[in-house]
Amino acid sequence: MPDNELDLAIVVNGQPTVVRANKNAPLRTVIPRALEQTGNAGQPPENWELRDAAGAPLSIEQKIGDFAFPADVRLFLNLKAGVGGVS
Amino acid sequence: MSQSQFVDPRVSRAKFDREIAEYHDLGSDYRRRGWLLVRAEFPWILVVLAAPQLKPPAIVTGVAFDYTNYDMRPPSVRLVDPFTGNPYKAKELPTHLKRSVESAGPPIPGLQLPLGAEARFVAQQPLMQWYGPDDTPFLCIAGVREYHDHPGHSGDAWELHRRSGAGRFVRLLETITKYGVQPIADYQISLQPRISGFIQRDVPS
Repeated sequence: MPDNELDLAIVVNGQPTVVRANKNAPLRTVIPRALEQTGNAGQPPENWELRDAAGAPLSIEQKIGDFAFPADVRLFLNLKAGVGGVS
Repeated sequence: MSQSQFVDPRVSRAKFDREIAEYHDLGSDYRRRGWLLVRAEFPWILVVLAAPQLKPPAIVTGVAFDYTNYDMRPPSVRLVDPFTGNPYKAKELPTHLKRSVESAGPPIPGLQLPLGAEARFVAQQPLMQWYGPDDTPFLCIAGVREYHDHPGHSGDAWELHRRSGAGRFVRLLETITKYGVQPIADYQISLQPRISGFIQRDVPS
């Protein structure tokens, strides 16, 4: 694997997958790939949110390399709650 | 098994078993976040959600899932008493799962804004919905059976969300945790001072 790439373990709605990512790309670039690999086709990438293992949201515009993720990191990608409320 | 299972039970059970197996694979991660799986027996799941960020930690709510007919039908999701498993009535809810929603709001007479600027309002909208205090509230998001069964959501069919994993167990727990557990910062304590007598400086001889 080239030095500028790394493998990220991403849990999509509870289903794990591993995505190869470019460290110089923003974090959001892993979202479409993780969705594709897990067969989650119904909602566009902007309707998903990425969090760390503690549940804290991650800035998806930040470069992947800037996060300095440890090798065993696991990120959690989940579908956002849509607009709720009964009128 | 539920009496109303009409999907081939082997199909629903296989999908249910996958949800539980994937959960167990990452069970230690989820437990650190305060998710305690106490029952997983097709088609039912009971999870107790705790707030580990509090000292001492608190149990916030139980969540009961019913995966009957999954995934031809979405799961039923109820907030329940974690000790009895009984669904909370609206007046008993420990959390309303409030979310902030930004909107344009009504025009305000006399409000002067720079050209092109627009006043934005932030409202707090509960994801738990009900009509009366004795109603059993439902989680008002796509992917939940009670949401799709509600006549107000007849235009947002389950079939539109099924392939996105909207009804998946971990996704629903994530949503409930995000709005109902993670925002809890501390205990709210009310004290009611009561005069119970006088304090004397000394007792004269």
